[in-house]
Amino acid sequence: MQSVQFEAPGTVDEAVALLAGATGDTRILAGGTDLLVQLRAHMINPGLIIDIKKIDETRSLTKNADGSYTIGAAYAGAEATERDDITKDWPGVVEGWDLIGSTQIQGRASLGGNLCNASPAADSVPAMIVAGMTANIAGPKGRRTIPVQDVPVSPGKTSLGKGEFIVSFNLPGRPKGGGDAYLRLIPRTEMDIAVVGCGVALVLDDSGTVTSAKVSLGAVSAKVLVVDAAAKAIIGTKLDDDALAKLDAACQAAAKPINDKRGTIEYRTKIAGVLARRAVKIAAERAGS
Amino acid sequence: MKIEFQVNGKAVNVDIAPTARLTALLRDVLDLKGTKVGCDAGDCGACSVIVDGAICCGCLVAVGQLDGAKVTTIEGLGNTAAGARLADAFLRHGAAQCGICTPAMMVSAAVLLDQSARPSRRDVEGALGGVLCRCTGYRKIVDAVLDASADDENSAPALTPQRRAAVGHRLARLDGLAKVNGTEVFGADYVPDGAALVRVVRSPHAHARFTIGDLRAFKGDHSGIEVILTAADIPGHNLHGVIAPFADQPVLAETVARFVGEAIAIIAGAPNCVTGLDLSAFPVTWEPLEPLQSPAAACDDQAPRLHAGRPGNILVEGHVERGDITRGFAEAAHIVEGKFTTPYVEHAYIEPEAGYARRIGERIEVHACTQAPHMDREALALILGVETEAVRVVPSACGGGFGSKIDLTLEPFIALAAWHLDRPAYIVFTRGESMRASTKRHPSEICARVGCDASGRVTAMDFDGVFNTGAYASWGPTVANRVPIHACGPYFIPHYRAHSQAVHTNGPTAGAFRGFGVPQAAIAQESLFHDLAETLGMDQLEFRLTNALDNQQPTVTGQVFAEGVGIKACLEALRPAWRRESAAAREHGHVADGSTTRRGIGIGTCWYGCGNTSLSNPSTIRIGLTATGQIVLHQGATDIGQGSTTVISQIVADALGIGIEALDLVGSDTDLTPDAGKTSASRQTVVSGTAALRAGEALRGMILRQGNAGSDAEITLANGTLSLCEDGIARVIELANLETNPHGYVLEAEETYDPPTTPLDDRGQGQPYSVYGYGAQIAVVSVDMLLGTVKLERLIAAHDVGRAINPLLVEGQIQGGIAQGIGLALMEEYIPGKTENLHDYLIPTFGDVPEIESIIVEVPDPRGPRGAKGLGEHVLIPTAPAILNAIRDATGARIRQVPATPARVRAAIEEAWEND
Ligand SMILES: Cc1cc2nc3c(=O)[nH]c(=O)nc-3n(C[C@H](O)[C@H](O)[C@H](O)COP(=O)(O)OP(=O)(O)OC[C@H]3O[C@@H](n4cnc5c(N)ncnc54)[C@H](O)[C@@H]3O)c2cc1C
Ligand code: FES
Ligand code: FES
Repeated sequence: MQSVQFEAPGTVDEAVALLAGATGDTRILAGGTDLLVQLRAHMINPGLIIDIKKIDETRSLTKNADGSYTIGAAYAGAEATERDDITKDWPGVVEGWDLIGSTQIQGRASLGGNLCNASPAADSVPAMIVAGMTANIAGPKGRRTIPVQDVPVSPGKTSLGKGEFIVSFNLPGRPKGGGDAYLRLIPRTEMDIAVVGCGVALVLDDSGTVTSAKVSLGAVSAKVLVVDAAAKAIIGTKLDDDALAKLDAACQAAAKPINDKRGTIEYRTKIAGVLARRAVKIAAERAGS
Repeated sequence: MKIEFQVNGKAVNVDIAPTARLTALLRDVLDLKGTKVGCDAGDCGACSVIVDGAICCGCLVAVGQLDGAKVTTIEGLGNTAAGARLADAFLRHGAAQCGICTPAMMVSAAVLLDQSARPSRRDVEGALGGVLCRCTGYRKIVDAVLDASADDENSAPALTPQRRAAVGHRLARLDGLAKVNGTEVFGADYVPDGAALVRVVRSPHAHARFTIGDLRAFKGDHSGIEVILTAADIPGHNLHGVIAPFADQPVLAETVARFVGEAIAIIAGAPNCVTGLDLSAFPVTWEPLEPLQSPAAACDDQAPRLHAGRPGNILVEGHVERGDITRGFAEAAHIVEGKFTTPYVEHAYIEPEAGYARRIGERIEVHACTQAPHMDREALALILGVETEAVRVVPSACGGGFGSKIDLTLEPFIALAAWHLDRPAYIVFTRGESMRASTKRHPSEICARVGCDASGRVTAMDFDGVFNTGAYASWGPTVANRVPIHACGPYFIPHYRAHSQAVHTNGPTAGAFRGFGVPQAAIAQESLFHDLAETLGMDQLEFRLTNALDNQQPTVTGQVFAEGVGIKACLEALRPAWRRESAAAREHGHVADGSTTRRGIGIGTCWYGCGNTSLSNPSTIRIGLTATGQIVLHQGATDIGQGSTTVISQIVADALGIGIEALDLVGSDTDLTPDAGKTSASRQTVVSGTAALRAGEALRGMILRQGNAGSDAEITLANGTLSLCEDGIARVIELANLETNPHGYVLEAEETYDPPTTPLDDRGQGQPYSVYGYGAQIAVVSVDMLLGTVKLERLIAAHDVGRAINPLLVEGQIQGGIAQGIGLALMEEYIPGKTENLHDYLIPTFGDVPEIESIIVEVPDPRGPRGAKGLGEHVLIPTAPAILNAIRDATGARIRQVPATPARVRAAIEEAWEND
């Protein structure tokens, strides 16, 4: 094994400069809960590791004047659960984030790491997508912002260019009448990889009619799916049985899971529908409160 | 890279690779071995440490990120008030069994107590949920943490037993202190200076012929390699096996590898070089052969034979027959049948195999985590080609075994390397290596049929079990022999036929795992009993009581016990809970209230013979009195967390009539302790316990004779004098005046006990065991009908232990066994190549183990010490069937293949709907 260079820059610019100067495989390190496992298993063998946790921008969570949030890419789930503001505004986002691993893992696991590890079963991603989050990326050509759903491409691959990394995320303010939820199914009570995950965000008007909605599914395809047909099935409805049945069917139709020991194709497909129904109900309850 | 930070309040300044993990820095550089490594992947949490106030996995922290940080480990926790309270509470509650997870549990708890003074049960489960424990079933850990956070008045004080009252006392384990302060030395926790590191080259194929290439060139290319050993370098026999007549396993395969992970060579040398070696570059050419994937494929006429002399790849068949099943089924009013399947199950102890060996002149010493030091010693002597006396085996603390650490794993490798190099050699298996190389629970395919008459009396049972024994024999013969005897459950069945086969495949070697095949058989039997009772419309508990075995009734092997048959007492003890839970389930469960969950309850039972099946299995215990008045107990029963050290001491203290604190313990060491047999088959309490009782009584007799004292005299030992007090008169004897024997004792007693058994005849009739233990459990579940997920609400367990020598330890065994039974029922399945880690191989966590109500039943057995029976394996047997029966009760679905994963449960529910 070659010896690794390790840097912990204090600013985004320094990090960008280090990345730009690097030859060979370079990795960003946030909480390390994926990266250290991969290093140990010799799945990766980088020449340079850049620890981004010394950069303030990656380590803060701020509620902005307009009600939106800026979340540092290396901010940990356990830290977010301590915050009354975001847990109240976006409980689904925090749920997905806080489901990652055990207390030991939650103290370190970041949204940036969960997203860039690009696992189709990543727990924080469905809720991030339906909340309309975007990622602020820094790189050799400056900064750019893209929707979260455009970051993962396929298992283990992202759309980030050479020398780019995510500095922070933007999370919109909670709309009036808005609610979100994330549900996942695992065979064990905790610390397990999702068999299916489902994120829902929706807005209800005063009459309880859904005016907008987004539904996403994790672990049933090579990347997290956004299911427009499922959202359409409930927009304009009061979530009556018929609308929920259509939502269920749309999710089942969209799911393209694999067979493995955690669940069969048939099972995962059905569960996508069941979880979507339940997540929608929770999101609607939250919207009403 | 230079890094400065604090560990336990002390400044640390090291120059180390920034990607090194914190665990490596703590253990290898700073010699803080209290932080354990169970997986190196974030899955087990054994490495938990506190970094800047937050709990994290030391194996996932790159030291480069630590500059300026404050780290606290178990060693630092000991100096804090919270640490002391936790240590005390863990001891009193029996929250540490093997102790390998204990430091991590305690540091995680300390962070919680720091954040909230009065945490709830749920808080504790959440805070500790990242740490796996395979021994305790978690409940006592939660209790201990809640206790440590409670007001002092509320916590249960530790009591020292009165003289002659050690038996029956809830005594905290005698070897507990080192476990709660992090100083216990497990296999990986001590490496002699200058030791060579050993690595094992293993087969990536399930079945392949191989040729080893140019070793000299490979060695030349890698400075630091000192020796490479292959089959040709083994001085003695390249063969071992736990049951001598069936020994068939090479230490290093010679030309053919028969399972994934089989060892073909070992490499030893300087640790810093050998650690990083890329073993995939090892010079070997593989010629893959068609692997035998299943017993069905292996039995095929065309299939290759894995071992000479085993036609059809059948290792052993077991058979028990009584009465006439044709007649029995003809008398039946109802008959049910089914085919049941269980997978490979991994022991998943948290400590991967580790240890070291050193050569001292013409002797070899092996220090490793083993369950069977004397067996290891004999096997190693044959492998090294030396006399048995030339081998010393000293078990390290064992971080869980459950049967797997009886077979040789690492021992021959370190012994061979140390022997060749004439310097110490050590090994620490990785998690993946441990899972690939160690034995597993036998996968089974069972077809069974049971019939009963109109009144609910079982008239006949027919049972055929095929057990996949994998590549080598290991304990396959034991499984094949045990199963037909136990497949009837603890019931009287007049017409019975049970047949078992252990069949070789190219799967992992299946060996001993808590219950030796009986848990698999119980799934079939108890499921069919449930279905029969259902067909009859009879209450499940009453159906079992109607058929439960009684004193004076013959077992299926024709053995008749005059007393001590305890299954009825267990079932009776469950009756109040059964009535209560039945009513609750009807209320919550079977109404269509729009909710998608249904509640159900189920029963499972067990009986289990303690000790080897129809084979001699003696234990010897020695107790000596020194000239200075010390009583020294030599007991070689390895305590792998189950508590034999404590239990045997309790028996001895009472037999001698002295306080338990007066005993000096000499632990298992083949040079110092006589052979107490292996720790398996639930035999230590019964067999070693009886030897201990007899040795204690014998020594007491010798002591009393010194003063011609009567049997009630009180013994006091102080400063080299023995005083015997009787009717207010004390006689004093100066021990220094007595002669000292070669062991250094003025008085010594050594007793051996071998439980009486007889061989089984052609029809399997005979007395296979001298003592059986009994048990019954109720599971209460809620099933989500759409997701297929099973939530355990509660388990109630009644176990007849004859006499609870230590009720605290009995409860610990019950809870730990139940947790493993839950894993068997709901989530565990070992698939070679796919689940060789602790995130794909799931074992229960805190949240998976519900409240457990333990009812200790005591129906004394005259053949057990003070009436005691064994327990270690019994506890796991009823759990899985109770859960499967509860799922049936809740949903109408019958699960015949475990684990009952959500996907399988949902599919079974759909099938039940279709049939409705
Ligand atoms: C025991 C255990 C349990 C787990 N359970 C779950 C679970 O339940 N659900 C789940 O979804 N995941 C789980 N994980 C996976 C992991 O914890 C998460 O994916 C976590 O969010 C990763 O965050 P991190 O900060 O530790 O990432 P790191 O390990 O630091 O990084 C992960 C990857 O992302 C890259 N990266 C990190 N930050 C950035 C950035 N800002 N810009 C660009 N690239 C970046 C890294 O180079 C690396 O390739 C578990 C892991 C373990 C060890
Ligand atoms: S050793 Fe770190 S989690 Fe297992
Ligand atoms: S006591 Fe927890 S793993 Fe043994």
